[in-house]
Amino acid sequence: MNEFRATIAIVRRHLDRRFAIDWAMEFGIVAAIAYVFTHTFAHPLFPLGIASVLAAASTAERSHAESLRRVTFFAMPLYGRQLARAHAVPPALLSLAIPSGYALGAFARTHVFPADLLGAMVCAALVATLVALSAIFRDGARAWLYVVLAALAGIATTLPFALQSHDGFAVSLALGAVAGFAALRAFGETLARYDPLPG
Amino acid sequence: MKILRATAVAFERDGTDLIAPFSLSLEAGARGEVVQPNARAASIAARICAAIVRPSHGAVYVGEFETRLQPPQAKRLVGFVDAGGFDGDLHALRCEIAFRADVWNLDVAAAQVRAAEILAVLGDGAYARAIALALVAEVALVVLDQPTERFIARTRRLVPQAGIVNTAVGAPERIAGRQLLAAAR
Repeated sequence: MNEFRATIAIVRRHLDRRFAIDWAMEFGIVAAIAYVFTHTFAHPLFPLGIASVLAAASTAERSHAESLRRVTFFAMPLYGRQLARAHAVPPALLSLAIPSGYALGAFARTHVFPADLLGAMVCAALVATLVALSAIFRDGARAWLYVVLAALAGIATTLPFALQSHDGFAVSLALGAVAGFAALRAFGETLARYDPLPG
Repeated sequence: MKILRATAVAFERDGTDLIAPFSLSLEAGARGEVVQPNARAASIAARICAAIVRPSHGAVYVGEFETRLQPPQAKRLVGFVDAGGFDGDLHALRCEIAFRADVWNLDVAAAQVRAAEILAVLGDGAYARAIALALVAEVALVVLDQPTERFIARTRRLVPQAGIVNTAVGAPERIAGRQLLAAAR
């Protein structure tokens, strides 16, 4: 079994017209928010919070969740961790629309946007996305708890940067890498244990 | 050679049994049937036989692989056909065949040819298309969820060496008898 070929095939299947529309919409909406509120959200904690919350919410969105729950994916001869990696790439790419849109909106208003803030926002969005993936295969309150946990995890990993501590940016990236890896492993476990029952 | 062994299989959620317990032993080239009281139970039983859903009790082996412990190895031997079939159009079918060829590491052009040959035997329709997708890869076991007799017979013509297990919906008194019969075959 060519694992890389299977991963690419699954990723390509998610990158359809709807994905492009979602990406453009998220980018546009966040850019507009950043343009209007960039002076209000002067403290780095605000853009980091926005990136985390929006990334967590968009990842756990219901129609996206339904498409990942289809039995087709579970009939494939892949381990949970392989499926998790393939399923994680499109939401991760989608979450990049948030920091990119925010950076563009804020830059259009103030003509300056720090590169390290953009890096921290990317880190927060990716961590929130990877944690929120596990909400897709849960229902009700447990799914919502995962979304909240995802948003908090995104913010928490970038707190050292937001609080402008010594080497805050590097520490945030390191925390993000650890949290992201753990979240992806947990998502793999979730997929391995998930039973796709008929409706 | 036994291609499917299901022993005292049951499935429950939140303390409720969702399927009628069943046992089944199937040789390569043979056919077995799992009868369940309703369509949802039949679909769950089909997914258990195809290593997609893990049973709550009992064990299922596809070939030598236990489906709870080695699901990818077991799934590689199985062609699963969902009750709803494949309801996409011809373009969607071609895309799905290419996707399956990538996942199962097959030659895409050969997979398209194989699917066309299968559809020539089965005729067109959602269920026929789902069977064509399931048989794009070489499989040792075909799991048909609630097929008609026509599809079972034609699938047998396509894969004479494979085991075929199908699910059906039947009255409770039919269930035990038919499953015992299937297990005895």
